[in-house]
Amino acid sequence: MDYDFQFNVIWQNLDLFLWGAWLTIQIAMLATALGLVIGMVMAGLQSLRNPLISGAIQFYIEVIRNTPFLVQLFFVYFGLPSLDIKVPASQAALLALTINIGAYATEIVRAGVESISKGQIEAGRSLGLSGFQIFTFVILKPALMTVYPALTSQFILIMLNSAVISTISAQELAFQAKFLQSRTFRSFEIYLFVTLVYLLLAYLFRAVFSLIARLAFGKVPAN
Amino acid sequence: MRAFDFTEVLIALVRATGWTVVLSLVAFAGGGILGLVLTMMRVSKNRLLQSVSRFYIAFVQGTPLLMQLFLIFFGIPILLGFDVPAFVSASVALIAYAAAYLADIWRGSVEAIPKAQWEAGTSLGLSWLQQFRHVILPQAVKVSIPPTVGFAVQVIKNTSLTSIIGYVELTRQGQILNNVTFQPFVIFAMVGAIYFIVCYPLSLYSQRLEARLTIEAR
Amino acid sequence: MKTSSRSMRILTGLLTLVLAAGCGGAPTPGGATEGGEAAGAPTNILDQIVASGTIKIAIPEDTPLFGTLATDGSYEGYDVDIANMLAADMGVKAELVAVSSQNRIPYLTSGKVDLVISSMGIKPERALVINFSNAYAPFFWAVYGSADKPVTNVEEAKAYTIGATLGTLEEIAFSDAAGPDANIMRFDDQATTVQAFVSGQVDLIVTGNSIAGQIIKDHPEMNVESKFVLQQSPCHIGVRRGDEALLTWVNAFIYSHMLNHDLDNLSLKWFGEPLPDFPNF
Repeated sequence: MDYDFQFNVIWQNLDLFLWGAWLTIQIAMLATALGLVIGMVMAGLQSLRNPLISGAIQFYIEVIRNTPFLVQLFFVYFGLPSLDIKVPASQAALLALTINIGAYATEIVRAGVESISKGQIEAGRSLGLSGFQIFTFVILKPALMTVYPALTSQFILIMLNSAVISTISAQELAFQAKFLQSRTFRSFEIYLFVTLVYLLLAYLFRAVFSLIARLAFGKVPAN
Repeated sequence: MRAFDFTEVLIALVRATGWTVVLSLVAFAGGGILGLVLTMMRVSKNRLLQSVSRFYIAFVQGTPLLMQLFLIFFGIPILLGFDVPAFVSASVALIAYAAAYLADIWRGSVEAIPKAQWEAGTSLGLSWLQQFRHVILPQAVKVSIPPTVGFAVQVIKNTSLTSIIGYVELTRQGQILNNVTFQPFVIFAMVGAIYFIVCYPLSLYSQRLEARLTIEAR
Repeated sequence: MKTSSRSMRILTGLLTLVLAAGCGGAPTPGGATEGGEAAGAPTNILDQIVASGTIKIAIPEDTPLFGTLATDGSYEGYDVDIANMLAADMGVKAELVAVSSQNRIPYLTSGKVDLVISSMGIKPERALVINFSNAYAPFFWAVYGSADKPVTNVEEAKAYTIGATLGTLEEIAFSDAAGPDANIMRFDDQATTVQAFVSGQVDLIVTGNSIAGQIIKDHPEMNVESKFVLQQSPCHIGVRRGDEALLTWVNAFIYSHMLNHDLDNLSLKWFGEPLPDFPNF
């Protein structure tokens, strides 16, 4: 190996990487939150047991899960404008990510809702709990505990998947790496560093989620 | 710009799909072999092998595939001293990626086998390797098939990322065609449809296998 | 544009040629291959070509708009047209040889071809090996956009979103000129950048004139025009060292076709815009 590794470019441009990492985190949070909303809406619609609606939702889920995210992204960013629906880059990235996670969130929410047996709700009623109390303690809290592992995994997955949006020039962490390497040509050093940053972020968020679970539920829900 | 000829575009896309399938098969086969080694390391008694395997899997699962692709794409010329075609970089990266995820899936399958099975093997005087091969593996394989088939879908979808390092598969071909015809909506819809046609049957099959396994377990 | 001293040089060269052809005795500097002394026997390359009736010209094997393979197996492009025009003016047949940018200079120096007309820019290391004619074809990087956007310089461009291909000469040049507050979208490759521009995701595009030429041709409805030129790297015809007579003739050829606007029309035909003002060479 006859290569002269130089890592100074990284230290000299730490601010770019930090800025990119922050944008990555923001996008992941926003997409997860919005995706969760979509998931709840879709799961709610599915519980209506209307064959047409449930069929349409199932179609949406299967299309998203059986096509690559990159193609979904290109479809939103390049395809929609040709129908005169103009979506600027940052919104297109968020839209594609949200649509993507929405499909997985629907399944997750549905699993959570179904985990609450009718018996629990009736038991709550017979104990004289108010509707709000039932919703919060009999339905919401156990459901959240059930879906918590899957949901936090999805967040990490979204955060890692968000690297792909660099292809449409969203200025998150992966893009900063590309940009810097186009100026300095220190490709390997830069990508090694950025990959480790992602690893660190994944590890950090897993730890944070464990902490939140301990505080909210009193324990960490098993997968 | 050539006028949009549906048949012409479809033929070009289908031909490129062949390259997607080739890469997927290479990744799955290579990943399978490496994944098996990693699984054995992971469930072995040797602490060092366990740690190496665990770190490798955590690294691949905790970092974006796109970054892994770039690392290998830029790393191989440095390591070898000469450039390699995009197909080689793409294959190496996807094999490394598939190996980690498959190892994780298979580790779960192996660990699902009750300890009693291992002990039975020991009492029969079999070595660890013999136990693994003749007692554990056959049972673990059955359990691992549904998630493994499900992962095949992930591999096929993820070959799309290799378009970014210049490998001409289905997604890249879609981009190239789009540049000639400027019909992004139709072209990417077609690209998506082809991926769907390839992946959906596998997804369904995986789900059906999973259901059958659950029924058998009851 | 050429200065009057340049015109004088060319006219002098032409005069010398005429005299040499007539009297057959003008000394040609350099190269051992020519240096005619005896009257009548063509010993410089120009005369040899004219006498043989064929000129071998290297053209691009795959450079869009300059030289590419057409569906019928022939080559087409700006350089191809120039090569054919040149041969016609010389009164000889053109034998076109498709070359890559790697082998075009070796083909010239080894004698496989007599001229290189292959979107070749001047670089000092190339000038060590071969001679260059005056500029004959435009190659420049500019900011392009639809006609309804009033942009004449970098500052005015910053009011819009600009697309460029990450890491290219023009992207770096524009980024440096525009500064950090410009809204520049940088894509991985030319294809994606062009897609972004054509789909309207970016208002302006920073790219080479050959790529812009393709956009202009394929999307007349967009009314794309060059707003301002960032950097020029015009093309020059390559001539072997020592073939002074041929070099002089080629320059005369270029000069005359520039005066009568043939080159402007050719540029309009292939790139959708007339020749820019070439820098002095």
